[in-house]
Amino acid sequence: MNRQTHYPSYDVMNEKDEWDDHTQSIVTSRLIRKSDYQFLTLEETELLKRICSRLMDDDREEVISFVISHIDQTLSAGIGEGQRKVGIPKSQILIREGLRSLEETATKRYLFGFTQLNADQQKQLIREISEKKTAQGLEWEAIMPADFFKKLMDLTVESYCSHPLVWSEMGYGGPAYPRGYVRTQMGQLDPWEAQPENE
Amino acid sequence: MNRKYANEVVDVVIVGAGAAGGVLAKELSEHGMKVVVIEAGPLRDPQKDFASDELAMKNLGWQETRLVDGQNPLRMGHNNSGKGIGGGTTHFTGVFLRFHDVDFQAKTIDGVGEDWPISYDDLAPFYNKIEKEIAVSGPKYFPWGNYHGPYPYPEREPLSPNAYMFQNGCEKLGIESVVAPLAILSAPFEGRPPCINRGFCNQGCMPNAKFSTLIVHIPKAIQAGAEVLSDCMVTQILMKEDGRAKGVEFVYDGQTYKQEARIVILSAFVVENPRLLLHSATPTFPEGLANSSGWVGKGIMPHSSHDVYGKFDYEIRLYKGTPVLATTQAFYRTDPERDFARGYTLHAHGVRPVAFARGISLSSQKKPIWGEELRNILLDYNYYGRITLVGEVLPHANNHVTLSDEVDEYGIPRAKVTFSYGENDKKLIQHAVQKMKDIIEAAGGTPEFVIEDTAHLMGGCRMGNDPSTSVVNSFGQTHDIPNLFICDASIFVTSGAGNPTNTVMAIAARTADYIKDQASKMEI
Repeated sequence: MNRQTHYPSYDVMNEKDEWDDHTQSIVTSRLIRKSDYQFLTLEETELLKRICSRLMDDDREEVISFVISHIDQTLSAGIGEGQRKVGIPKSQILIREGLRSLEETATKRYLFGFTQLNADQQKQLIREISEKKTAQGLEWEAIMPADFFKKLMDLTVESYCSHPLVWSEMGYGGPAYPRGYVRTQMGQLDPWEAQPENE
Repeated sequence: MNRKYANEVVDVVIVGAGAAGGVLAKELSEHGMKVVVIEAGPLRDPQKDFASDELAMKNLGWQETRLVDGQNPLRMGHNNSGKGIGGGTTHFTGVFLRFHDVDFQAKTIDGVGEDWPISYDDLAPFYNKIEKEIAVSGPKYFPWGNYHGPYPYPEREPLSPNAYMFQNGCEKLGIESVVAPLAILSAPFEGRPPCINRGFCNQGCMPNAKFSTLIVHIPKAIQAGAEVLSDCMVTQILMKEDGRAKGVEFVYDGQTYKQEARIVILSAFVVENPRLLLHSATPTFPEGLANSSGWVGKGIMPHSSHDVYGKFDYEIRLYKGTPVLATTQAFYRTDPERDFARGYTLHAHGVRPVAFARGISLSSQKKPIWGEELRNILLDYNYYGRITLVGEVLPHANNHVTLSDEVDEYGIPRAKVTFSYGENDKKLIQHAVQKMKDIIEAAGGTPEFVIEDTAHLMGGCRMGNDPSTSVVNSFGQTHDIPNLFICDASIFVTSGAGNPTNTVMAIAARTADYIKDQASKMEI
């Protein structure tokens, strides 16, 4: 997390009372940390936290913990995946096997588990799996590294970008009902939107 | 379950309450026919069940797993289909374009694809009817195609910053652009308010300013006596010994029920219609129902829908306002100067954080964007503008829906959806991507990311006059089974190059007229 937001004093949650009740309850619940996971084991949870932090370049516990609970919930709820490429295992197997294989690769190469590696080593391993379309090494027998990466990235991105802290940093206006937008000409802002701050 | 027509043989049973099913239900029940609509997904209240949130509203899409295959496996779910009363209309962008006359004659005019068994003129009165019925807003003059306006309601005003960026870029290049015709109100209509530029069209419109069959056609159908069943998954089309359809079987809350009807209409879209027809095979119809041509499931087409993101040194703010507010069809028709047939529409297209980040991060097959690089892009979200393609994809028999070896919770084989772009499609995309880059540059931006994507789905049960190469006639009546109809985007012959919902609904209105007429003559 090197670069800073363009909108350091903007907090999208300041406006939550302006949102409809349903949206309020959905978004507010993302700020409550959950730790009772249905699908993920303790080891998988710790490993995933590390990986997801690297994927988004963000170590903040409150944000990453929402990402993990979203992944756990998705994998345990049994909701369809929308689509799955022929030959790729179901998401539950893909994620579980992927984590296991990544951990094995880490141990083989560095003699330590993934979470114990330094940042550069972790990033190097992720880079390799993200671009690798063919299995290499026995530990990746069951699945293709890039398939695992893609599924994990999808789950991570959709939850990370649904966290209000991230919305605030992006300068995203967030929920807008019942209020809507009044000033929509180029360069115009409604008073409650993120205001550009001198950088 | 509490039923109105449980033990009756009704006039019509409609499978699927989306764009087509809604229109059919309204038209046929208002005509006095006994109609039952069976929808796999829930009945939602926009005020309570929708939310201003991308993640929570993914469930408006058909999330049930489909297997995908081919050189360009499709992204399904929210990307192209709906589940619940209203179907895809609950989460479409509201873009409401007509096809052009040339879209119905691709083979005759350009020697590609196929001709439709109908012409633009056959659909024109139904386009008029549908647009009026939902008070489509649009420009005073629409420069392309056969209909030049005026639209029932005035064009939207104001637009969004991204739409102004697009208009500005187009103007500098001498490309004509207009405010998009939209199924979104620009003034009050039938108790519904005009749009407040909230921008969450794809997450379900909470103020009800955007049309959906959930809030317009289905309530009118119920008013006229139709029974609308939600959360009921149709698992089988039932046949009689005389080769006519008897009704359907469906599952509600783990229990199996039957609904008998004189006419069965499938409006369950491009994947589920073929799946149901293939799965309902009988000894008389061993290859699946209505499939003597072998064309059930074949010839499916998405639109190519690549996005180009450009970065600006000033804020655009892609979240603001209705996602699509400005459009050009300047490249819609075949141009002999280009190295491909047919053409495309371009839209200024807003986007919210999840779709923005997912698209950019996973856009390249070779090298995904993640970590510090992705986070820096997210922090600059407000400085990006976006243009999206709706490009014609030519039909091909190898792009198809088949049954896979894997079964779903009902024991029905999951659909396998296979898709690969053809050469013409790829050349068209290349041309369009360059145009989108040009527009962004002309508007002062720097094109940064090209996102490979598709939108919409059409075909798979195409219409035609020849029963050996098509599944239904132009009214959606199957060639093989006279009281079995298919009516929605699956009967499209070609994809056209504009958003399909208006054409889906016009076709449904035409089919409804045909059924009313035939039923009164006792011919069905």
